Amino acid sequence: MWQRRRSAAVRVWREFTRDRGGLVSLGVLGAVVLLAVLAPVLTDPAGLDVTRADGLPLRPPTWEYPLGTDVDGRSVLLLTLWGTRVSLLVGFAATVLSVLIGTVVGIAAAHLGGWVAAALLRFTDFFLALPSLVLAIALSSVLPRGSATIVLAIAVTSWPATARLVRAQALTVEGRPYIERAKALGGGHLHLVGRHVLPAVLPLVLANTTLVVGNSIIAESTLAFLGLGDPNAVSWGSMLQTALSSGAVSAGAWWYLLPPGLAIVVIVLSFTLVGRALETVLNPRLKGDRD
Amino acid sequence: MRFTRFRRLRSVLALAAVPLLGTGLFVPQAHAQDGPTVLRVALVQEIDHLNPFTASFASSTMVGRFAWEFLTLPSAEDATPTGGLAESWSASEDKLTWTFRIRDGVRWSDREPVTAHDAAFTFNRIMTDPKAAEANGSYVTNFARVTAPDDRTLVIETEEPQASMTALDVPIVPEHVWSGIRDMAAPETDSIEVVGVGSGPFLITEYRRNEVVRMKANPDYWRGRAEIDELQFVKFENADAAVNALRNGEIDFVNRLTQAQFDTLRGEPNIATNQASGRRYRELLMNPGARNSAGQPIGDGHPALRDVRVRRAIAKAIDPETLVEKVLGGYGELPGGLVPPIYADHHYTPPADKKYTFDLAAANRELDAAGYRRGPDGVRAGPDGRKLRFRLTARASEDYGLRATDYIAGWLDRAGIEVVKNLVSDNEVDETTSSGHYDLALSGWGTNPDPDYILAKQTCAALPATSGSSSSNAFFCDRTYDRLYQRQATELDPRRRAELVRQAQARYYEQVPSLVLGYDNVLEAWRSDRFSDFTEQPEGRGQIMEQTGYWGFYGARPADAATGADVGLPAGAWVAIGAGALLLLAGGGTVLARRRTPAEDRE
Repeated sequence: MWQRRRSAAVRVWREFTRDRGGLVSLGVLGAVVLLAVLAPVLTDPAGLDVTRADGLPLRPPTWEYPLGTDVDGRSVLLLTLWGTRVSLLVGFAATVLSVLIGTVVGIAAAHLGGWVAAALLRFTDFFLALPSLVLAIALSSVLPRGSATIVLAIAVTSWPATARLVRAQALTVEGRPYIERAKALGGGHLHLVGRHVLPAVLPLVLANTTLVVGNSIIAESTLAFLGLGDPNAVSWGSMLQTALSSGAVSAGAWWYLLPPGLAIVVIVLSFTLVGRALETVLNPRLKGDRD
Repeated sequence: MRFTRFRRLRSVLALAAVPLLGTGLFVPQAHAQDGPTVLRVALVQEIDHLNPFTASFASSTMVGRFAWEFLTLPSAEDATPTGGLAESWSASEDKLTWTFRIRDGVRWSDREPVTAHDAAFTFNRIMTDPKAAEANGSYVTNFARVTAPDDRTLVIETEEPQASMTALDVPIVPEHVWSGIRDMAAPETDSIEVVGVGSGPFLITEYRRNEVVRMKANPDYWRGRAEIDELQFVKFENADAAVNALRNGEIDFVNRLTQAQFDTLRGEPNIATNQASGRRYRELLMNPGARNSAGQPIGDGHPALRDVRVRRAIAKAIDPETLVEKVLGGYGELPGGLVPPIYADHHYTPPADKKYTFDLAAANRELDAAGYRRGPDGVRAGPDGRKLRFRLTARASEDYGLRATDYIAGWLDRAGIEVVKNLVSDNEVDETTSSGHYDLALSGWGTNPDPDYILAKQTCAALPATSGSSSSNAFFCDRTYDRLYQRQATELDPRRRAELVRQAQARYYEQVPSLVLGYDNVLEAWRSDRFSDFTEQPEGRGQIMEQTGYWGFYGARPADAATGADVGLPAGAWVAIGAGALLLLAGGGTVLARRRTPAEDRE
């Protein structure tokens, strides 16, 4: 059994490496995550404290400050690096929560059927129809300010797509004969879902997750840009917000705006490419089209 | 549940649509050469009320100053009292009875004559109706009786001699319109039917919340009709948007610029700038134990801040010089007392031995000595074991709020005090600070040439009767201060009064219920190709917008040869717009309103 799993994993990896974009993106993501994790080791967090910043405000890039300085004389490079931590953390946390809700609702709707499914689906439709950014803004202005609120706001608004996807996949699995056999042999709900449906759905969930991360990071940056983020931590969105409100935009301080903006583009692009590559490998239908 | 959800959604959507409308609607008039001359002023601040009895934001009181004439008001030249509705005034021998002679022939915009009865009604309403006293109640607390023996005579009797009688910053409203209003706090009092009848240089003709306030020149204004035909206050969601609109000629006047914006605009063609001494102060409120007028504690302030030693240590751990230098970019003046240096007679500068000099070591020593020891995590805790962990409430809408909180958190962290930033909307700052639900908060007030108003806000008498009314500034209640305040209020000799005013501020400074952080310069810019001759107050060095009076825009004239030059955006702005657009597009393609807008303090 373990051997079979391992060989399956090796096969997946081999197919994944065939997608050049996905592979490069995975490398970029690995590097970014490593940098974010090692930020406290590599750099001195004291540089984030405006009262200890020693640079001149709004200076273009120099050797000392490779990406220039912000309005308070802090290194933009340092801010961008530390912003990675918040953006990734919130992105991942929101994704885990969102995918968890989506998967539970999706599988429950597919497996239980009947009025439960009807109720769950209407509930999903309701959230699907709500403009998610507006709902996220409303939520984060009502709840106390902080990272946890942002995570919740993003998760609550982004799960319906996952739920729909998982339900569709779970329905096809449920229709297969071996599920019927398992039922005939007396398998309970937990056994059916845990041993058969969930494992069959998981690869798709995994591919979907990488796509959701990208969206979550954008949502985080957007909310922070709109002034709803955690004021006690630097994130890419909050950097852009400060740049805008302090008039750095009018002053033409491009070095203050481009790093967080490009960082968002790069990281979201990477997640999307990895997600697509994974999807192609794991979803047999997409693979069939390709060959 | 579903219903409420929808309702909330709808209000959020409505909110989202507002800035699109607000900025979009007025673009077509950008180069209107013929037709009425419209002076379009960017408002980067919310309007709380148009009702002059409840309006307390600086933006709202400014609108009120254009719409309703005062009895007397500070002159444009040197801010000394000059006649408004009152053409002359005199005080009795004992200084307790003031008689104002109301100007003849002044009419409300609905053709009714303005009489002394209107003025008497206005003051009596503020004296008898607590809701009507919200904005200007401090002027009348000492009034005993206000009567109008005939149409042109107003008699005000006071309990004690009052020094600020010629500086009553109270808009006089028409009795025939306002006497029918039962509830001063009702939303209808902000409607055009009510606020549209005025006597000032401009009349309110349209008000759309968070979009625009339109005012037309009052043709019958007693000083003479204004040279411009219409005044529009167009709401902008942030100052950068307003600056770009100014460059493109979509609006004509912007104030409250940040230093970076001011520096950029200074070199632009067709744009003129004005750097003026400000009349408002910024402060860090430190909740000294908020109470209502009955003496019951309200709110949830941190108990350690009731200890004056903690407040003084915080004052020493904050460096106003850095804040003025870095956050205000040098466009500000260093702090002393509550009255800004523009009013030199009443400004208090602490002597060297009383001054809170920035010294983190001293702050740490004093907190140690007061029994607030550092815990293992570096955060101090009081003798009761409660950690010195303070919320710092500030406006998310303004640059100062965003950045000064960073500095304050950084300094206090080194003094062993943990700061949790709480950046919220203007209205929420207002609510939390006036109901006592804060530990530390960034705030500020505009001051008038007469210091009575701002000093009265710090007395025990100003403590709120009901939680949430914004009459008291810092919940300060101190006997020594109150005595000094009383003495200055009744002292009619200007020199002796100024001395008492400074002493009162010295007491406030020493007790630090709030620490003054500086006085912003007023940074304004306008289209010099479209308008000229704005009147500064005081002449030559003062501000144009948000004066204590209406001189600034009343004096404005269309520029002679309006050359509608095509003003493009610099490359940097395009890059920024691109980055912003990218983010927003990616985030769902919806441009959304921020509920918190750059705005400012109450007045």
